[in-house]
Amino acid sequence: MQIMQGNSQQQAYDRGITIFSPDGRLYQVEYAREAVKRGTASVGVRTTDGVVLAADTRVRSPLLERSSVEKLHKIDDHVGIASAGHVADARQLIDFARRDAQVNQLRYDEPIDVESLTKDITDQIQQYTQTGGARPFGVALIVGGIQNGEPRLFETDPSGTPYEWQALAVGGNREDLLSYFEDEYREDLDLDGGIDLALSALAEVGDKEVTPEGVALGTIDVETEQYRQHTDEEIETYLEDVDTEGEEE
Amino acid sequence: MTDWNHGMDPTQQPSLDDGMQSPYEPELGTLPSSGNDEETVNKTGTTTIGIATDDGVIVATDRRASLGGRFVSNKNVQKVEQIHPTAALTLVGSVGGAQSFIRSLRAEVNLYEVRRGGNISIPALATLAGNFARGGPFFAINPILGGVDEDGSHVFSIDPAGGVMKDDYTVTGSGLTVAYGTLESQYEDDLSMEEARTVAADAVSAAAERDTGSGNGLVIAEVDQEGVEIDTYEYDDLL
Repeated sequence: MQIMQGNSQQQAYDRGITIFSPDGRLYQVEYAREAVKRGTASVGVRTTDGVVLAADTRVRSPLLERSSVEKLHKIDDHVGIASAGHVADARQLIDFARRDAQVNQLRYDEPIDVESLTKDITDQIQQYTQTGGARPFGVALIVGGIQNGEPRLFETDPSGTPYEWQALAVGGNREDLLSYFEDEYREDLDLDGGIDLALSALAEVGDKEVTPEGVALGTIDVETEQYRQHTDEEIETYLEDVDTEGEEE
Repeated sequence: MTDWNHGMDPTQQPSLDDGMQSPYEPELGTLPSSGNDEETVNKTGTTTIGIATDDGVIVATDRRASLGGRFVSNKNVQKVEQIHPTAALTLVGSVGGAQSFIRSLRAEVNLYEVRRGGNISIPALATLAGNFARGGPFFAINPILGGVDEDGSHVFSIDPAGGVMKDDYTVTGSGLTVAYGTLESQYEDDLSMEEARTVAADAVSAAAERDTGSGNGLVIAEVDQEGVEIDTYEYDDLL
């Protein structure tokens, strides 16, 4: 039986997610984090006048329709989400977020806070780490939007913990992208500067050239408070300011 | 045998909650089903008034509760309650329905504040109150919400079907036509808080003269950025 590979003591603890290992770990949640790393990267940058979301959307085959690759999602007028990891899992949380935003509108006649939305999503994710028979979400999300006129940027991970960031990446190459942001991010970036930073980060750590067809770009600015997904032509203009060559050349 | 499952069916998985709140129900407790609007139910009859000024809101009410509109069942009712750090709501209609309505809204205001780290705005609170009142489960409540937030002073009337209407000044209760007469002749859009308090007292006093459901003096809430102050008065104290 090849199934029983590895440490037999560990085997007992990585079957049910509701069970801690003796050293206090939840293996299924850790495996879900590994699933996120297998996905292509998504990044988010908070700037003085808006939030930038960008995602690597390169497709494996020229036959695949690009529009069917979903990495950036409009949640409400003032909120967008970028995902990394299992697309099918992401879709469940995206629909949860969209309905949650509308419930807030119905209940209070006000747009939902980006922070409240993020915490509602992470509370939902957390349930899947503590309920028997459930599997954790193999997805990490970047939640960006405008709250009381201020740009806000949050992350959700498979454990259901919310984090707030100035700039972050989820998915493949996360560590490299984060260290790039740590070197290059400035608090006084404007929206255009944030777009350049997001695109150059994806170009810097990728091993292929970044093209308008290979990235998705969404922004929410403080002036309109509207989520907007940018066209290929607009992305091409932005890419002119960016060194698009991958590391390998 | 040890009951590991605390009486639950061991084959049943714990259910996953979709986490979605109903917009039309309080998060804690349930709305009463609409019911007996009989002569045994205490009603406030009532004249309640809200006036918005630049500095805050005056919410004034009479102090009479009645049974079937023919008997004064209480001569010292407080019909305006604080429900938010800077907002007050009046009790109009059935006393039980209005009291439970106030308790539900207070719980919602507190949960909103601790979860989001800031107080709910007055228009959002009015929407929530309208959602709860919708369909009339609190049989015949018709309160006024008066409050102050970062956008200024707000007065809303909420009707039993969930209608929410914003105004500069408004009256609800059985004495409303009489009180409106006074307000239409005395209200101005640049009243100070003290002037607005006098106008409101005059209007409640007029209603108490002619409406059998209103009388026995005044309770007035003064709401500003600092908070809510509620005091009891006789008509002579203010007029």
